[in-house]
Amino acid sequence: MEIVVSGEQYSVEWDAPTRTAALKGILRLNGLEEYGPIARFLSSAVPEGKMTLDVRSLEFLNSSGIAMLSKFVIEIRNRKTVDLNVVGSTAISWQGKSLANLCKLMPSLKMEII
Amino acid sequence: MNSFAASVVDPATAVAPTARFRSLTAKQAIVTVVVVLVLSLLGSFLELFIAWNHIRGQVREQASQMLNTVDGSAAEAAYQLSSELGQQVVTGLLGYQVVDTVELRDNFGDALGKASRSREPDMFAGLARHLFGDVTTYHRSLMRSRNNGPVTEVGRLDLVLSPEAVAHSFFDLALVNGGLGLFRSLAIVGLVVGIFYAMITRPLVRLSQVVSQVDPDHPGARLITVLPGHGQDELGQLIGSLNAMLTSSQRGLDQRDRAQADLTALTHDLERRVAERTAELETASNQIHSLNLQLKADNLRMGAELDVSRRIQQMILPTELELAQIKGLDVATFMEPASEVGGDYYDILQAGGGRLRIGIGDVTGHGLESGVVMLMTQSAVRTLVTSDENDAVRLLDVLNRTIYKNVERMGSDKNLTLALLDYRPEAPMDMVDDGTGQPVTGHLRVSGQHESVIVIRQGGIIELIDTVDLGLPIGMIDDVKEFIAEVTILLHPGDTVVLYTDGITEAADSTHTLYGLERLCEVVASHWQAEAEAIKAAVVADVRRHIGSQALYDDLTLIVLKQG
Repeated sequence: MEIVVSGEQYSVEWDAPTRTAALKGILRLNGLEEYGPIARFLSSAVPEGKMTLDVRSLEFLNSSGIAMLSKFVIEIRNRKTVDLNVVGSTAISWQGKSLANLCKLMPSLKMEII
Repeated sequence: MNSFAASVVDPATAVAPTARFRSLTAKQAIVTVVVVLVLSLLGSFLELFIAWNHIRGQVREQASQMLNTVDGSAAEAAYQLSSELGQQVVTGLLGYQVVDTVELRDNFGDALGKASRSREPDMFAGLARHLFGDVTTYHRSLMRSRNNGPVTEVGRLDLVLSPEAVAHSFFDLALVNGGLGLFRSLAIVGLVVGIFYAMITRPLVRLSQVVSQVDPDHPGARLITVLPGHGQDELGQLIGSLNAMLTSSQRGLDQRDRAQADLTALTHDLERRVAERTAELETASNQIHSLNLQLKADNLRMGAELDVSRRIQQMILPTELELAQIKGLDVATFMEPASEVGGDYYDILQAGGGRLRIGIGDVTGHGLESGVVMLMTQSAVRTLVTSDENDAVRLLDVLNRTIYKNVERMGSDKNLTLALLDYRPEAPMDMVDDGTGQPVTGHLRVSGQHESVIVIRQGGIIELIDTVDLGLPIGMIDDVKEFIAEVTILLHPGDTVVLYTDGITEAADSTHTLYGLERLCEVVASHWQAEAEAIKAAVVADVRRHIGSQALYDDLTLIVLKQG
C-alpha cells in the first residue's frame, strides 16, 4: 500500500499487486477542482483490466466527492477497457444510495457491499 | 609561593618584588653584620679578657723578677743603712720603663733611696688604672741574717708601676685585636652576604624579573626558563610549579575565551533567531489579521448570502392561500430552514381538475449556490408543468439538462435529489383491481430519485416506495434519460402519503443519534387516522423533541397528503 494523495482527514492509497485504490477517512474537499488530484489518479491508475475501488473506510464523502466518483465511473464506462469493482460498507450511511447510483451509471460495475 | 602568585597575577605590583628582594638583601646584610659584629665583639672581649688576665700575671711576675733582681742589693743597702747603695738600687729599678716610683726604706722607716718618674697625663690613664691599678703596687720586705744570726727584716722596698705603661701593651693588643676583629667581621659579612646573594637572592631577583615579564593576559605564552644551575633545587621546583600554574591559568583563560566566544556566537545566533522568529510572528500576525479581515468579510458575505438564500427559499414556497384552495386532498406542509440554510425544495402546483404536480428535492450543500440551484429547479419544474409536460422521462431529462448546464456554467458541482409526483383525484385509466376491496379515489405517479415515499394505509400500515431506481440526482451527469422510471401509487380514502427531506431523518440529537426513517414511520403510523395537519404537527413535535437543544444542521421539509 502506498499513499498517493493525502490530506488532513483523508488518504488515497494504492495497492499495485491487487490493483486496488482505497479511499479512507473523511472527504470534504471543496468543489471538483480540489478533487482534481484524486480524480486524475483514479482515471490514470489502470489503463485496462481489473481495478478495485475500496471505499469501506471512507466515512464521509460530500456531494462534490460523489460527483467526482460519478464522473470517474462514467469515464470508465465510456472507456470500456477497465473491469471496475467497487467495495463498500453497509455501516456507512452515505454509501447506500450513492453506490447504487454508481451501479446505475455503469451496469457492468461489480458492487460488493460488505 | 602565594606571594609570588599574587605578584604574578597583579600587574600593578609587578615591580614591587624586585624592590622587596633588594630590601631583603639589605636586611639580610644588616642582620649578618649585626650578628657577626656581636659575635666578633664577644670574641674580642673574650680575647681581651684573657689577654688582660695574662698581662696582669706577666706584670706580677715582672715586678717580682725586678724585685728579685734587686732584692739582695736592697737588703744589703738596708742592712748597711747605705743611702748610696740604696739610691743605686732605686735608680736601677727606675730604669724599667714600667716603674713609676721606687722607695727603699730601712727598718726604721727612713728612706735610703727614692726615685720616681714624672709622666705626661695620658687620655687612657683612668682606664689603665681601672684595669691594672690593683697590680701596680708591690712591697718587698728585705730580709738578711745579721751577723750570721737569724734572718730578720732589715727594710722594705716599695715599688709602684705605672698603670699606663702596664696597660700600654694591653691597649696595643686591644687595638690590633679590635682592628683584626672588625676586618674579620666585615670579611665574613661580605662573604656571607655575597654567597647568600649569589645563591639565593640573585636567582630570586632574576626570577621575580622574569615573573614580572609574564603577560597577565597570556600567562602561558612564554613560560619561565629554568635558571642555570637551579634545575633540580627548590628554585627549579618553584619555577616548575609556577610554569604549571601559568599553563593551567592559560588553559583556564583559553577555556574562558572559548566559552566567551561560544557564548557570543550563541547570543548572536539567539538574537538572529529571535529576530527571525519575530519577523515570522509578525508575518503570521499580519496573515492572521488579514485572514481575520477576510473571515469577517466572508462571514458578512456568508451571512448576507444565507439571508438571501433563506429569502429565496421562503419566497418561492407555495403560499397558504394556494394550499387552501386545494380540493379533494388534505395537504399539510412544513419547512424550517437550518441556520446555514440548505437547499430544500418543495412545490405543489395545481394543474386543473384537482390534479396536483408536487415536487420535493434537496440540493447538495448550503448557502447561496444551493439556494440558486433550488430556485432554478423550481422555475424549470414550473415551466415544464405549465407547458403541460406529462411525460416524466422527458420532464426530468429536460430539467436535468437545464440544471446540469447551468450548474456547469456556475462552475459548481451542486446537484439535487428530486422526486416529482403527479396526483390525480381518480383511479388511473388503465387500473386493474388492486385487490384491497377499497375504492381507489386517487393516484400518484412518482418519478425521480429522492428519499423514500411513505404511504400509510388504513390501520396504520406502512408502505415504503424506494425512489432510488426512479432516477439519478439532477445536475450530476449530462444525461439521465435511461435512469428515469415511474411508479404509480393507488390511493384509497384515508390513505396518507408522507414526503420529507433527509433533514428530518438525519436530524441528530446530542449523542449524534439520527432521527431515522423508522421512527418517522412509527409516528405517522400511530397517527394514521389524524388529519394531515395533525400528522404533520405530531412529526414536527417528535423531531423537535429528538433534536432538543441541538442546532439544526439541515433544512427540515415535510409534506403530508391525505386522500379524502
